[in-house]
Amino acid sequence: MSARIRIYRALARGVVLESLRRKDLWVVAILGLLIMLTSGVLGFFGTSGLQMFIKDLGVTVLGAFATILAILTSSRVLPDEIKQRTLYPLLSRPITRLDLLVGKFIGSVLVSWIAFLMLSVMMAVALVTFKVGFEPIMLQYLLAKMMGLAVVCAVSIAFSAFMTPAAASTLSFILAFCSSMIVRALTVGYAGADDVSKWGFKALNAVIPQFSLFDLGSRAANLNWGLVPMWVIGFLFCYMVLYCSAMMSLAWLKFRKAAL
Amino acid sequence: MEAPPIRVQDLYVRYTAKNGKSVDAVRNLSFEVQPGEIVGFLGPNGAGKSSTIKVLMGFVTELKGSAEIFGEPVGSLVAKAQTGYLPEVAMYYPFLTPMETLRLYGELQGLTGKALKTESEHLLELVGLGQAMTKQNRTLSKGMLQRVGIAQSLLGNPKLLILDEVTSGLDPVGRRELRDVLRARQAEGTTLFFSSHELSEVDMLCDRILLVNKGELIDERDMTGLKEHLRNYVLTYSGSATMLGLTDDWREEDSFKVARFPSKESLLEGISRIHQSSGAILDVVAEEGSLEDYFVEAVQAA
Repeated sequence: MSARIRIYRALARGVVLESLRRKDLWVVAILGLLIMLTSGVLGFFGTSGLQMFIKDLGVTVLGAFATILAILTSSRVLPDEIKQRTLYPLLSRPITRLDLLVGKFIGSVLVSWIAFLMLSVMMAVALVTFKVGFEPIMLQYLLAKMMGLAVVCAVSIAFSAFMTPAAASTLSFILAFCSSMIVRALTVGYAGADDVSKWGFKALNAVIPQFSLFDLGSRAANLNWGLVPMWVIGFLFCYMVLYCSAMMSLAWLKFRKAAL
Repeated sequence: MEAPPIRVQDLYVRYTAKNGKSVDAVRNLSFEVQPGEIVGFLGPNGAGKSSTIKVLMGFVTELKGSAEIFGEPVGSLVAKAQTGYLPEVAMYYPFLTPMETLRLYGELQGLTGKALKTESEHLLELVGLGQAMTKQNRTLSKGMLQRVGIAQSLLGNPKLLILDEVTSGLDPVGRRELRDVLRARQAEGTTLFFSSHELSEVDMLCDRILLVNKGELIDERDMTGLKEHLRNYVLTYSGSATMLGLTDDWREEDSFKVARFPSKESLLEGISRIHQSSGAILDVVAEEGSLEDYFVEAVQAA
């Protein structure tokens, strides 16, 4: 195994173990059970029209909880290291500051993915138990959302390198939960702008994270909609890789020379 | 010739406070540490000890001058691979156990598998945490956390140990055990560089001390020479000999005289005078000077 992979694995395992023992994921599990029960109560009535609503509710809650956990974990993963002084023995080892950032990023992503998959399994059980279909589009939804969570983590970590954890998480929440609203506002602004301003709107649109791209929840909830073409998934993957790399680079630029 | 474990030349570290004022934490600092030495880095609070150690570990990147570990720039992967470090305040992930903590640092050090497990267990036994290696760090006392820190600093058998306030939080038994561990490491060829406020530890462990104040090196001595420098000789004698010109500290009692000499040479000269005046030596006592007095006087003089 290459040295870099060993370093990332060790750092990421530390983040996941801490999160597990801090019982963050147990909170998610309890929330998952609540979702299942809610779905169960609604499914009990056996109304076919409710199927879409149940799915919609499920995927919305699923995405929201996983996003919240992703932001809360990743926005404090770096500041906590500095505040608690656990950073010093880490950086005294033969690793670079970039290694540390990447390892912590991978750890945060894994925590959010574990939470998301835990919730997803519970929701899948609930859907199947109460005879609401679990179509292949749901798998595409899960895949896209996991990529979106990686982007959420990268953005939160990058913000936390420049501001306090509270400010970083607040800004991340705004971007994550108001993404579609922000994009719509930019689209409206673009339509009414002059040629020069249009470039500004284009640049803004390119810079802000397009979280709504990763949300296939509505498509998954709608019973009549089919699978997303695979090239779309491929595009989302490329976007995730590029955006996460850009955010990590930004965090590294700030962190690489910082006096600790 | 092998590069020295630590070489610092004309080092300046300047911090800029939030109000825009600049503070020189370290000024024109130069020193070397030779292989196999135990060097104590002393100074009052705010003298620049921790800043210097942070430079040696690569935590401070904006500096003037140069600092090298085994000839490599501080903070480089090669330098860090040969260095074990104990931070001033030992904080470790609260929800990990000491065993998991060492596994984490060991893997970052490049250790893996059974070798890492064996070494971790050995080190935790060595620092007295054999019974607590599977308890979470948050349940451990300050002294036990310090032991976790000492164990992690020894991982990978580093050629250089940099220890910031090494005995902090340890009880007397722990301190003695730590001294034994560090001496054993020195016997294996490890170089030790540590800061401490515990002058008794410095006295018992060090080969040499560096004394800093306000960011500058104000004194540098080997411990043998320093102990000789601090030693006084109290001579009690009878007869007519006077010690004028040899020491200011002498007095006459009813039937004898007492003189205190700051060096062996002045003592011998005093003895010679007594013999010449046909006096008799009644008693000679060597008084060991206190490192604390030296520390306080040197800092105040600076």
